[in-house]
Amino acid sequence: MDAFAALLSGFQVALTPLNLAVAFAGVALGTAIGALPGVGPINAVALLLPLCFALKLPPETALILLAGLYYGSGYGGRISSILLNIPGDPGLVMTTLDGYPLAKSGRGAAALAISGIGSFVGGTSAVILMTFLAVPLARLALSFGPADYVALMVLSFALLGTMSEGKAVKTWIAVALGLLFAMVGVDGGTGVERFTFGSLELLGGIDFTSLTIGLFAVAEILFLAEGMISGVVSRTGNGARLSFREIVYCLPAMLRATGLGFFLGVLPGTGASVASAMAYTAEKRISDKGTFGKGDMRGLAAPETADNAAQTGSMVPMLALGIPGSGTTAVMLGAFLMYSITPGPLLFTQRPEVAWGLIASMYIGNLMLLVLNLPLVGLFARLLLVPAWILYPGILALSYAGVYAVSNSAFELIITTGIGILAYILRKVGIPLIPLMLAFVLARLLEDNFRRALSLSDGGYEILFSTPTSIVLWLLAVVAIGLPLIRKPKLHPAVPVAEAGKPGA
Amino acid sequence: MIDRLVGLICALLGAGAIWHAQTLHVPFAADPVGPRMFPTIIGGVLILGGCILMLRPGPVTMEFGTWPRALAVLVASLIYPLLLLPIGFIAATALLCFVAALAFHARPLPAAVSAVATAIVFFVLLDKLLDLPLPRGPLGI
Repeated sequence: MDAFAALLSGFQVALTPLNLAVAFAGVALGTAIGALPGVGPINAVALLLPLCFALKLPPETALILLAGLYYGSGYGGRISSILLNIPGDPGLVMTTLDGYPLAKSGRGAAALAISGIGSFVGGTSAVILMTFLAVPLARLALSFGPADYVALMVLSFALLGTMSEGKAVKTWIAVALGLLFAMVGVDGGTGVERFTFGSLELLGGIDFTSLTIGLFAVAEILFLAEGMISGVVSRTGNGARLSFREIVYCLPAMLRATGLGFFLGVLPGTGASVASAMAYTAEKRISDKGTFGKGDMRGLAAPETADNAAQTGSMVPMLALGIPGSGTTAVMLGAFLMYSITPGPLLFTQRPEVAWGLIASMYIGNLMLLVLNLPLVGLFARLLLVPAWILYPGILALSYAGVYAVSNSAFELIITTGIGILAYILRKVGIPLIPLMLAFVLARLLEDNFRRALSLSDGGYEILFSTPTSIVLWLLAVVAIGLPLIRKPKLHPAVPVAEAGKPGA
Repeated sequence: MIDRLVGLICALLGAGAIWHAQTLHVPFAADPVGPRMFPTIIGGVLILGGCILMLRPGPVTMEFGTWPRALAVLVASLIYPLLLLPIGFIAATALLCFVAALAFHARPLPAAVSAVATAIVFFVLLDKLLDLPLPRGPLGI
């Protein structure tokens, strides 16, 4: 099996001192940022993105860092859910249901331990699945023509609409806005200026880092400033420690959640929040004897495992197809594109050091996270005691410093703040930001493939529906668009979420 | 009501996008589609989405917390880029963090201390350790 050989070569990349250090920094920072209430994986990745470019890190190193932040934050998020009953992002609502009761009954330490183990099982199993599935999926996509890609991208937008919490039409508006933002600047095909209104600064288009920071850092801080999320830290408690029997007891739940989470993660448009919700619901249906919601270990292990499995799963379509499965992987795809690397079928043959180095680093990162999150979890929990007035102004300052470092322009900071204001308004009126981000990143690929397809047919639109693959994808897209009109899928139970309007973070 | 307004704005934006796309002057035909088609389709989607929202608005509950606090952070953020080059990173960032810390319910003295500390820590971290040049300001620090 050549996956082993490829993985070994990946370890050679991942085990260099720089990449090891960066992986450690990524997962540790990810856990720390994930632990803060109100700040989730996408915010963590957005915050560090400009620094990657400003430091001119090599692509594989930058991606190891960003990926580490992503799955590291999946570990950290549980801390505030369990100890504070505050889910840091929508994917963590389910963690509070059984986690907080456990903490209240004095078993906070055990709850943190089992959820840490769950995260490790989910994360690592998903990396193993990814190792063996990414290349076959990429091979399948090798036969894709431009028309197939157009259909695939429309399908992933359509799935976003199906899975979103609000109205599907608002997701579509968000997608259109994202595409429109990406149009600003010089058109690659003809050199024509679009939507620049004569401004020199806009010739190069809206900068990806400014957009990401505006959407997911500035707007987030404005929201947090407005209505403080606050809570009382319940102590980790001195109840019984986690026993080996309890781990074994939770293992079936974890394995079920891994499968479900990975599958949902791979599907474009469905992120960790859907996965953890479905894993909890499924586990409750299978093994509830009236103990779920009152501090059942399995009710805590299942969503935490699924959350991490889905995070890793959502990286599979991003790497193999070039189509991100979630908001955070969309940001990572944008990072790839800024390095002039196009993820997709050719990534594994043309830039194996990037693809396999990243995958290998995820094995290492998950091991590091297990160590960081079992004995050292108290350290991260202490972060919750740092007052908000030190943390959030610091995040704001780091955001602007990052944008300045990468652009060397004060004007770019004004654009970033402007995007932040817009994002704040959009969230207030219920237009989700993740589809906007996803569309912005995919816009160029979508338009290029669209125009390439029509060049092949000399302007005939029938080429968009000419291959069996494209026809199947279009039909699925039509179903996905039609579905919300017929009935609203109820994936999210009525639990208050810290921030609505952020599906699939 | 809010949905209707959002729908109207989206529809107008879509119409604007389509109008702008039609005014694009294409010097030569590089490909059969050209740069106009794609913005036109997007404009169409926006108009369609906006109309659906206007015709079938859902209930939107606009919840505002203590919005003056968000406004304070926003104003500080807008002034920050204007001050960054003239007074340098440390002073400008300390000012930004000070206002933001007050908005996050800090008392003035702790806010000032933490703001100055944050600015210095980031300056040392980014400029000195990671070698990313930040604006120095008049005092050269």
